Amino acid sequence: MKSNLLVLAAAVLIFTSCSSNPKKPAQPAAASVGDKSDGKSVRAASDLDEYQVETIADPLEPLNRVTFSLNHGLYTYLFRPISKGYEWVIPKLLRQGIHNAFENVKYPVRVVNDTLQGNFERAGLETGKFVVNTVVGVGGLGRPSDHIPALADVPAGETGQTFAKWGVGHGAYLVLPVLGPCSLRDTVGLAGDYALNPVSWVTIWYGGYAWTLAIPSTNTVRAMPNQMKMYEAATKDALDRYLAARSSYVQYRKEAALK
Amino acid sequence: MILRTFLLIPLMFLCGTAFASTAEAEKRLQSAVTDVLAIATTAPDRAALQTSLRPVLKKHLSFEAMTRRAVGPGWRQFTPPQQEEAVRLFTTLIIRTYSDKFTPGEHPEILFKAATSPAPGRVEVPTTILYQGGRYSVTYRLEEAESWRITDVVIEGVSLVANYRTQFDAEFKKGGAGAVVGALSQSVENPK
Repeated sequence: MKSNLLVLAAAVLIFTSCSSNPKKPAQPAAASVGDKSDGKSVRAASDLDEYQVETIADPLEPLNRVTFSLNHGLYTYLFRPISKGYEWVIPKLLRQGIHNAFENVKYPVRVVNDTLQGNFERAGLETGKFVVNTVVGVGGLGRPSDHIPALADVPAGETGQTFAKWGVGHGAYLVLPVLGPCSLRDTVGLAGDYALNPVSWVTIWYGGYAWTLAIPSTNTVRAMPNQMKMYEAATKDALDRYLAARSSYVQYRKEAALK
Repeated sequence: MILRTFLLIPLMFLCGTAFASTAEAEKRLQSAVTDVLAIATTAPDRAALQTSLRPVLKKHLSFEAMTRRAVGPGWRQFTPPQQEEAVRLFTTLIIRTYSDKFTPGEHPEILFKAATSPAPGRVEVPTTILYQGGRYSVTYRLEEAESWRITDVVIEGVSLVANYRTQFDAEFKKGGAGAVVGALSQSVENPK
């Protein structure tokens, strides 16, 4: 009898944990005012707090909003035309090659952070990917790793993510001039990524020669079309662009920290 | 002993249906994606794309659930006409946002991964989308009402519904249901 009771208790536990998400406390049925849809008013009423408003400290909101709208102007009147021009002048295949090569060269950013996170398996995968793309993909212009299932979707390690995994919080939300949505933590992360990216080493070692400007500039421009598309996807059709961008940023970084 | 067997039956039944429904939801999503891609690759321009996507998206997405959840607990303070208006406007806005993601003539490739069921009647299907040289992770959330319908699209961790949840919440705090409907209609009328 005792064991039967235990089974009953276990079954009840399993059942309740299956059917109700702890984040969603059941609402009283009377709360389903105006929900006339499909006779599922109890479930319909309890799903209203399914999505939480994600929070990030934004003590500088007034200043951030100003920077945000300046950036918006910059994107609209300068970066977008540059992106369009780049896409118009450089054929698609070459663009893809340039993009791949710059991403491939960022290998130290990924492998150092994977290692700092203690994720040696991923550091190994990154190394395999780097070798395959550099050798078979001719200096990283091609991305043959896409055709190897184990290497196709290796989440990219970066410094902000490392801080997040170490338990460092965002601090405060910041809209950086030109660069856009960021946080205190991720600004430091960006500096780390910059230092680990061989593209910046060129400037650091050979700074002063005019030709060294070509490589980082190409890197900036080749990344622009994608960044403009991301910005547009996040803010187009928004009721408030600033809030839409902030919400997207927080969600995107939360996901990155879980990878 | 009898009690034990008795308890196991509904559990087994639950697992069985969960498995069957996951497959059903995946099938539904794949047919939705096929329908959408057929239109996206043949539409001559953006305006045509939006017009022909509308009935397809209305069939596969649960706009009512999306609006309700994007508004959150404040939904209870909407009058039935305000709810109806909010759903109508949000539907238009989502269809526009979604249509804008396609460039006519470009053909995305979609790789479906194993679906999971976070709760009974709910399924999440993670996918990888290869589009214009990039790889994007996109998760579709589906829910069973009369049939399986998409209730959210999560691109690189960014949920469409959660994104509007933040914005609606700000409007609601400013001026309740009226402010939400007002802001929505302004966004619909003045595309940015």
